[in-house]
Amino acid sequence: MLNNSNINNKKMTIKKYNIFRMIIVIALAIIFSQAIIFQNFLLSAGVLIIGSLIVYSMRKNVKEVMADERDYEHGGKAALLAMQIYCWMGVVAMFALKSQAYLNATYDIIANTLAFSICIFMLLYSFIFRLKSKGKFWNGWTVYTFIVLVLFIILAIMGTIKI
Amino acid sequence: MKNKIKEIRTKLNITQDELAQSVGVRRETIVFLEQGKYNPSLNLAHSVAKKLKIKIDDLFIFEEEDEKRK
Repeated sequence: MLNNSNINNKKMTIKKYNIFRMIIVIALAIIFSQAIIFQNFLLSAGVLIIGSLIVYSMRKNVKEVMADERDYEHGGKAALLAMQIYCWMGVVAMFALKSQAYLNATYDIIANTLAFSICIFMLLYSFIFRLKSKGKFWNGWTVYTFIVLVLFIILAIMGTIKI
Repeated sequence: MKNKIKEIRTKLNITQDELAQSVGVRRETIVFLEQGKYNPSLNLAHSVAKKLKIKIDDLFIFEEEDEKRK
């Protein structure tokens, strides 16, 4: 007969979920990298899908609150700060690489990729921010940001192909 | 913002875990709330006040310094 403690042990707690997830991610990373080395792309894709499904089903079984409004608030601030740091570092690296491009042509390509990625990143952030703050897509500024984002992505792809 | 969450919660004999589960947040959020280190949303404040059977006005003590900080 099951007593209360046994029932509680069968529950997927956040702690258990985090431990299992970490083990699965490590196992996945090992199998995935080996599969790529041996050029077995079917195995790598299969492992990735199965792993994701296992993690997803485990998450579904967690009955505790995994994230609340405080986490979302901090998540938003952290994401913004991370974006700003990435952008500043990217800009500095871009100028440094551009200035040294005469030494190696690859530097120029890396600098351009960095510049494009920063612009797309900021435009994407701006678009999502407007979408969230206005609450609807069919708002003048949201549509405008979306059009600029799409145009920039097209230009970036064309520019990359040209490079 | 100061509040009386800990005081009333203890009186009602409710644990932080129970309160957190009933209002749908993590226990850490209740800890930060009690320490006055986190300003909750109106929804959360309402849920906590309802659970502790007290008015929001009586649960949270709004000070002018909080307004100046903004």
